[in-house]
Amino acid sequence: MSETASAASPYRIYRITWAILLVITVAMLAAEKFHLPRVFLILFLLAFMMVKATMIGGNFMHLRFERRNLAWMVALGILVTSLILYTFITPESWNVQTKSAGPAPNRPTLEQQ
Amino acid sequence: METGGHVTTMEAGWGGGVSPFGATWQKTMMWIFIVTDALLFSGLLCGYAFLRQAGAAPWPDRTQVFSIAFIALMTFILITSSMTMGTAVTAARLGDRKTAMANLAFTIVGGAAFLSCQAYEWTHLIREGARLTGALPGSELVEKGVTPQFSQAFFVLTGFHGSHVFSGLVILVITLIRTRMGKTPAQGVEMAGLYWHFVDLVWVFIFTLFYLI
Repeated sequence: MSETASAASPYRIYRITWAILLVITVAMLAAEKFHLPRVFLILFLLAFMMVKATMIGGNFMHLRFERRNLAWMVALGILVTSLILYTFITPESWNVQTKSAGPAPNRPTLEQQ
Repeated sequence: METGGHVTTMEAGWGGGVSPFGATWQKTMMWIFIVTDALLFSGLLCGYAFLRQAGAAPWPDRTQVFSIAFIALMTFILITSSMTMGTAVTAARLGDRKTAMANLAFTIVGGAAFLSCQAYEWTHLIREGARLTGALPGSELVEKGVTPQFSQAFFVLTGFHGSHVFSGLVILVITLIRTRMGKTPAQGVEMAGLYWHFVDLVWVFIFTLFYLI
Protein backbone atom coordinates (compact mmCIF):
# COMPACT_ATOMS: atom_id res chain seq x y z
CA MET A 1 0.00 0.00 0.00
CA SER A 2 1.36 3.43 -0.84
CA GLU A 3 2.34 5.86 1.91
CA THR A 4 -0.32 8.35 0.80
CA ALA A 5 -3.09 5.76 0.83
CA SER A 6 -2.06 4.53 4.27
CA ALA A 7 -1.96 8.04 5.65
CA ALA A 8 -5.42 8.95 4.28
CA SER A 9 -7.26 5.90 5.65
CA PRO A 10 -5.75 2.45 5.76
CA TYR A 11 -9.20 0.86 5.48
CA ARG A 12 -10.49 2.92 2.54
CA ILE A 13 -9.35 0.43 -0.08
CA TYR A 14 -11.53 -2.30 1.45
CA ARG A 15 -14.64 -0.12 1.49
CA ILE A 16 -14.13 0.96 -2.12
CA THR A 17 -13.49 -2.63 -3.23
CA TRP A 18 -16.57 -3.80 -1.33
CA ALA A 19 -18.73 -1.12 -3.00
CA ILE A 20 -17.43 -1.97 -6.48
CA LEU A 21 -17.99 -5.69 -5.88
CA LEU A 22 -21.57 -5.01 -4.85
CA VAL A 23 -22.24 -2.83 -7.89
CA ILE A 24 -20.82 -5.54 -10.17
CA THR A 25 -22.92 -8.21 -8.46
CA VAL A 26 -26.08 -6.13 -8.93
CA ALA A 27 -25.13 -5.54 -12.59
CA MET A 28 -24.69 -9.30 -13.07
CA LEU A 29 -28.08 -9.99 -11.54
CA ALA A 30 -29.74 -7.27 -13.61
CA ALA A 31 -28.09 -8.35 -16.87
CA GLU A 32 -30.73 -10.98 -17.51
CA LYS A 33 -33.49 -8.35 -17.56
CA PHE A 34 -32.00 -6.79 -20.68
CA HIS A 35 -32.72 -9.90 -22.78
CA LEU A 36 -29.27 -9.96 -24.31
CA PRO A 37 -28.42 -12.79 -26.70
CA ARG A 38 -27.30 -15.82 -24.67
CA VAL A 39 -23.69 -15.66 -25.91
CA PHE A 40 -23.34 -11.98 -24.98
CA LEU A 41 -24.92 -12.58 -21.60
CA ILE A 42 -22.47 -15.39 -20.83
CA LEU A 43 -19.49 -13.33 -22.01
CA PHE A 44 -20.69 -10.38 -19.92
CA LEU A 45 -21.07 -12.55 -16.82
CA LEU A 46 -17.68 -14.24 -17.34
CA ALA A 47 -15.95 -10.89 -17.82
CA PHE A 48 -17.46 -9.47 -14.64
CA MET A 49 -16.63 -12.69 -12.77
CA MET A 50 -12.97 -12.23 -13.72
CA VAL A 51 -13.06 -8.55 -12.69
CA LYS A 52 -14.46 -9.55 -9.30
CA ALA A 53 -11.86 -12.29 -8.86
CA THR A 54 -9.07 -9.85 -9.77
CA MET A 55 -10.35 -7.27 -7.29
CA ILE A 56 -10.57 -9.81 -4.47
CA GLY A 57 -7.12 -11.20 -5.26
CA GLY A 58 -5.53 -7.80 -5.81
CA ASN A 59 -7.09 -5.68 -3.08
CA PHE A 60 -8.40 -8.03 -0.40
CA MET A 61 -5.58 -10.58 -0.67
CA HIS A 62 -3.03 -7.81 -1.36
CA LEU A 63 -1.58 -9.49 -4.44
CA ARG A 64 -1.27 -6.02 -6.01
CA PHE A 65 1.20 -5.08 -3.31
CA GLU A 66 3.19 -8.32 -3.29
CA ARG A 67 6.26 -8.99 -5.37
CA ARG A 68 5.34 -9.79 -8.97
CA ASN A 69 6.90 -13.27 -8.73
CA LEU A 70 4.29 -14.25 -6.19
CA ALA A 71 1.39 -12.68 -8.08
CA TRP A 72 2.40 -14.43 -11.32
CA MET A 73 2.91 -17.76 -9.59
CA VAL A 74 -0.59 -17.61 -8.13
CA ALA A 75 -2.39 -16.20 -11.18
CA LEU A 76 -0.68 -18.30 -13.82
CA GLY A 77 -0.58 -21.40 -11.64
CA ILE A 78 -4.34 -21.38 -11.24
CA LEU A 79 -5.28 -20.11 -14.70
CA VAL A 80 -2.99 -22.32 -16.78
CA THR A 81 -3.76 -25.50 -14.84
CA SER A 82 -7.48 -24.79 -14.94
CA LEU A 83 -7.29 -24.18 -18.67
CA ILE A 84 -5.46 -27.48 -19.18
CA LEU A 85 -8.07 -29.29 -17.06
CA TYR A 86 -10.91 -27.68 -18.97
CA THR A 87 -9.36 -28.27 -22.38
CA PHE A 88 -8.78 -31.96 -21.77
CA ILE A 89 -11.94 -32.79 -19.86
CA THR A 90 -14.84 -30.77 -21.21
CA PRO A 91 -14.60 -31.47 -24.98
CA GLU A 92 -15.04 -35.15 -24.14
CA SER A 93 -18.55 -34.30 -22.95
CA TRP A 94 -19.53 -33.74 -26.61
CA ASN A 95 -18.67 -37.37 -27.34
CA VAL A 96 -20.68 -38.56 -24.36
CA GLN A 97 -23.62 -36.46 -25.51
CA THR A 98 -23.40 -37.89 -29.02
CA LYS A 99 -23.33 -41.44 -27.67
CA SER A 100 -26.26 -40.91 -25.34
CA ALA A 101 -28.27 -39.33 -28.13
CA GLY A 102 -27.73 -42.44 -30.29
CA PRO A 103 -25.36 -43.18 -33.15
CA ALA A 104 -24.62 -40.43 -35.64
CA PRO A 105 -26.29 -40.93 -39.07
CA ASN A 106 -23.06 -41.80 -40.87
CA ARG A 107 -21.54 -43.83 -38.09
CA PRO A 108 -21.95 -47.65 -38.33
CA THR A 109 -23.76 -49.23 -35.43
CA LEU A 110 -22.13 -51.92 -33.31
CA GLU A 111 -24.16 -54.60 -35.13
CA GLN A 112 -22.97 -53.36 -38.54
CA GLN A 113 -19.36 -53.42 -37.38
CA MET B 1 32.78 -26.09 -12.94
CA GLU B 2 30.91 -23.57 -10.81
CA THR B 3 32.56 -20.35 -9.84
CA GLY B 4 32.92 -19.60 -6.17
CA GLY B 5 30.42 -16.72 -6.25
CA HIS B 6 27.70 -18.77 -7.92
CA VAL B 7 28.15 -21.65 -5.48
CA THR B 8 27.79 -19.23 -2.60
CA THR B 9 24.58 -17.84 -4.14
CA MET B 10 23.20 -21.37 -4.67
CA GLU B 11 24.03 -22.35 -1.10
CA ALA B 12 22.36 -19.22 0.20
CA GLY B 13 19.27 -20.03 -1.91
CA TRP B 14 19.00 -23.66 -0.83
CA GLY B 15 19.70 -22.68 2.75
CA GLY B 16 16.71 -20.34 2.77
CA GLY B 17 18.75 -17.17 2.73
CA VAL B 18 17.09 -15.92 -0.44
CA SER B 19 13.39 -15.08 -0.66
CA PRO B 20 12.33 -15.07 -4.30
CA PHE B 21 8.76 -14.10 -3.45
CA GLY B 22 9.74 -11.42 -0.97
CA ALA B 23 7.46 -13.03 1.60
CA THR B 24 7.92 -15.02 4.77
CA TRP B 25 7.86 -18.81 4.45
CA GLN B 26 4.50 -18.91 6.25
CA LYS B 27 2.96 -16.62 3.69
CA THR B 28 4.58 -18.43 0.76
CA MET B 29 3.29 -21.77 2.06
CA MET B 30 -0.17 -20.29 2.54
CA TRP B 31 -0.18 -19.10 -1.08
CA ILE B 32 0.96 -22.51 -2.33
CA PHE B 33 -1.83 -24.11 -0.29
CA ILE B 34 -4.34 -21.66 -1.79
CA VAL B 35 -3.16 -22.48 -5.32
CA THR B 36 -3.57 -26.22 -4.70
CA ASP B 37 -6.97 -25.72 -3.09
CA ALA B 38 -7.99 -23.54 -6.04
CA LEU B 39 -7.10 -26.43 -8.32
CA LEU B 40 -9.45 -28.68 -6.35
CA PHE B 41 -12.31 -26.28 -7.05
CA SER B 42 -11.10 -25.88 -10.61
CA GLY B 43 -11.44 -29.64 -11.06
CA LEU B 44 -14.90 -29.62 -9.50
CA LEU B 45 -16.03 -26.78 -11.78
CA CYS B 46 -14.65 -28.63 -14.82
CA GLY B 47 -16.58 -31.70 -13.66
CA TYR B 48 -19.69 -29.54 -13.41
CA ALA B 49 -19.11 -28.22 -16.95
CA PHE B 50 -18.74 -31.80 -18.14
CA LEU B 51 -21.95 -32.96 -16.46
CA ARG B 52 -23.89 -30.00 -17.78
CA GLN B 53 -22.67 -30.49 -21.32
CA ALA B 54 -22.85 -34.29 -21.40
CA GLY B 55 -26.36 -34.68 -20.03
CA ALA B 56 -28.96 -35.61 -22.62
CA ALA B 57 -31.73 -33.85 -20.68
CA PRO B 58 -31.75 -30.04 -20.70
CA TRP B 59 -30.26 -28.30 -17.66
CA PRO B 60 -33.06 -27.09 -15.36
CA ASP B 61 -33.95 -23.41 -15.17
CA ARG B 62 -32.13 -22.32 -12.01
CA THR B 63 -34.69 -19.59 -11.28
CA GLN B 64 -37.31 -22.35 -10.92
CA VAL B 65 -35.16 -24.30 -8.46
CA PHE B 66 -33.47 -21.55 -6.41
CA SER B 67 -34.41 -18.13 -5.15
CA ILE B 68 -31.76 -16.04 -6.88
CA ALA B 69 -32.53 -13.11 -4.53
CA PHE B 70 -31.61 -15.38 -1.61
CA ILE B 71 -28.37 -16.43 -3.30
CA ALA B 72 -27.62 -12.74 -3.93
CA LEU B 73 -28.10 -12.12 -0.21
CA MET B 74 -25.58 -14.88 0.55
CA THR B 75 -23.14 -13.24 -1.88
CA PHE B 76 -23.66 -9.87 -0.18
CA ILE B 77 -22.94 -11.41 3.22
CA LEU B 78 -19.73 -13.07 2.01
CA ILE B 79 -18.42 -9.94 0.23
CA THR B 80 -19.16 -7.87 3.33
CA SER B 81 -17.35 -10.37 5.55
CA SER B 82 -14.34 -10.10 3.22
CA MET B 83 -14.31 -6.34 3.71
CA THR B 84 -14.34 -6.69 7.51
CA MET B 85 -11.62 -9.35 7.27
CA GLY B 86 -9.41 -7.03 5.21
CA THR B 87 -9.96 -4.30 7.79
CA ALA B 88 -9.01 -6.73 10.58
CA VAL B 89 -5.78 -7.68 8.80
CA THR B 90 -4.73 -4.06 8.31
CA ALA B 91 -5.71 -3.15 11.88
CA ALA B 92 -3.60 -6.04 13.20
CA ARG B 93 -0.65 -4.86 11.11
CA LEU B 94 -1.05 -1.34 12.50
CA GLY B 95 -1.15 -2.72 16.04
CA ASP B 96 -4.79 -1.66 16.56
CA ARG B 97 -5.88 -4.77 18.40
CA LYS B 98 -9.33 -3.46 19.31
CA THR B 99 -10.32 -2.75 15.69
CA ALA B 100 -8.78 -6.04 14.59
CA MET B 101 -10.82 -7.99 17.14
CA ALA B 102 -14.05 -6.14 16.37
CA ASN B 103 -13.67 -6.81 12.64
CA LEU B 104 -12.72 -10.43 13.22
CA ALA B 105 -15.93 -10.78 15.22
CA PHE B 106 -17.95 -9.16 12.38
CA THR B 107 -16.35 -11.57 9.93
CA ILE B 108 -17.28 -14.54 12.12
CA VAL B 109 -20.87 -13.30 12.30
CA GLY B 110 -20.90 -12.90 8.50
CA GLY B 111 -19.48 -16.39 7.99
CA ALA B 112 -22.00 -17.91 10.40
CA ALA B 113 -24.82 -16.07 8.61
CA PHE B 114 -23.62 -17.40 5.26
CA LEU B 115 -23.47 -20.96 6.58
CA SER B 116 -26.95 -20.59 8.09
CA CYS B 117 -28.28 -19.43 4.71
CA GLN B 118 -26.63 -22.40 3.05
CA ALA B 119 -28.08 -24.79 5.63
CA TYR B 120 -31.51 -23.26 4.96
CA GLU B 121 -31.08 -23.65 1.20
CA TRP B 122 -29.99 -27.28 1.55
CA THR B 123 -32.80 -28.11 3.96
CA HIS B 124 -35.35 -26.47 1.68
CA LEU B 125 -34.16 -28.43 -1.36
CA ILE B 126 -33.87 -31.73 0.52
CA ARG B 127 -37.43 -31.29 1.81
CA GLU B 128 -38.53 -30.68 -1.75
CA GLY B 129 -37.01 -34.04 -2.69
CA ALA B 130 -33.45 -33.24 -3.79
CA ARG B 131 -30.84 -35.92 -3.08
CA LEU B 132 -27.21 -36.36 -4.08
CA THR B 133 -28.32 -38.95 -6.63
CA GLY B 134 -31.14 -36.82 -8.06
CA ALA B 135 -34.66 -35.72 -7.27
CA LEU B 136 -36.99 -38.21 -5.59
CA PRO B 137 -39.52 -39.68 -8.05
CA GLY B 138 -42.80 -37.84 -7.94
CA SER B 139 -41.34 -34.79 -6.21
CA GLU B 140 -41.92 -31.25 -7.39
CA LEU B 141 -38.27 -31.00 -8.44
CA VAL B 142 -38.75 -33.67 -11.11
CA GLU B 143 -41.36 -31.43 -12.72
CA LYS B 144 -38.86 -28.58 -12.57
CA GLY B 145 -36.45 -30.68 -14.59
CA VAL B 146 -33.89 -31.45 -11.86
CA THR B 147 -31.60 -34.19 -13.16
CA PRO B 148 -29.17 -36.38 -11.17
CA GLN B 149 -26.30 -34.39 -12.74
CA PHE B 150 -27.79 -31.15 -11.49
CA SER B 151 -28.25 -32.49 -7.95
CA GLN B 152 -24.72 -33.89 -7.86
CA ALA B 153 -23.15 -30.68 -9.13
CA PHE B 154 -25.15 -28.61 -6.65
CA PHE B 155 -24.45 -30.69 -3.55
CA VAL B 156 -20.78 -31.32 -4.34
CA LEU B 157 -19.90 -27.74 -5.31
CA THR B 158 -21.79 -25.98 -2.54
CA GLY B 159 -20.91 -28.72 -0.05
CA PHE B 160 -17.17 -28.39 -0.65
CA HIS B 161 -17.44 -24.63 -0.50
CA GLY B 162 -19.51 -24.79 2.67
CA SER B 163 -16.94 -27.07 4.31
CA HIS B 164 -14.30 -24.46 3.49
CA VAL B 165 -16.44 -21.72 5.03
CA PHE B 166 -16.82 -23.88 8.14
CA SER B 167 -13.03 -24.46 8.35
CA GLY B 168 -12.52 -20.73 7.87
CA LEU B 169 -14.91 -19.99 10.71
CA VAL B 170 -13.03 -22.35 13.04
CA ILE B 171 -9.73 -20.67 12.08
CA LEU B 172 -11.25 -17.22 12.64
CA VAL B 173 -12.62 -18.12 16.06
CA ILE B 174 -9.21 -19.48 17.11
CA THR B 175 -7.52 -16.37 15.69
CA LEU B 176 -9.93 -14.09 17.57
CA ILE B 177 -9.39 -15.90 20.87
CA ARG B 178 -5.62 -15.89 20.43
CA THR B 179 -5.59 -12.23 19.38
CA ARG B 180 -7.55 -11.37 22.51
CA MET B 181 -4.94 -13.25 24.55
CA GLY B 182 -2.19 -11.41 22.66
CA LYS B 183 -0.77 -14.67 21.31
CA THR B 184 -1.43 -14.19 17.56
CA PRO B 185 0.94 -11.85 15.73
CA ALA B 186 -0.32 -9.68 12.86
CA GLN B 187 0.90 -12.29 10.42
CA GLY B 188 -1.40 -14.90 11.96
CA VAL B 189 -4.40 -12.65 11.28
CA GLU B 190 -3.12 -12.12 7.74
CA MET B 191 -2.92 -15.88 7.11
CA ALA B 192 -6.48 -16.36 8.38
CA GLY B 193 -7.50 -13.45 6.15
CA LEU B 194 -5.92 -14.98 3.06
CA TYR B 195 -7.90 -18.16 3.61
CA TRP B 196 -11.14 -16.26 4.18
CA HIS B 197 -10.71 -14.17 1.03
CA PHE B 198 -10.01 -17.36 -0.90
CA VAL B 199 -13.37 -18.74 0.26
CA ASP B 200 -14.98 -15.53 -1.03
CA LEU B 201 -13.07 -15.85 -4.31
CA VAL B 202 -14.32 -19.39 -4.88
CA TRP B 203 -17.90 -18.26 -4.23
CA VAL B 204 -17.55 -15.65 -7.01
CA PHE B 205 -16.96 -18.51 -9.46
CA ILE B 206 -19.69 -20.77 -8.08
CA PHE B 207 -22.20 -17.92 -7.97
CA THR B 208 -21.55 -16.98 -11.61
CA LEU B 209 -21.03 -20.39 -13.18
CA PHE B 210 -23.65 -22.37 -11.27
CA TYR B 211 -26.33 -19.89 -10.23
CA LEU B 212 -26.23 -17.24 -12.97
CA ILE B 213 -25.26 -19.03 -16.18
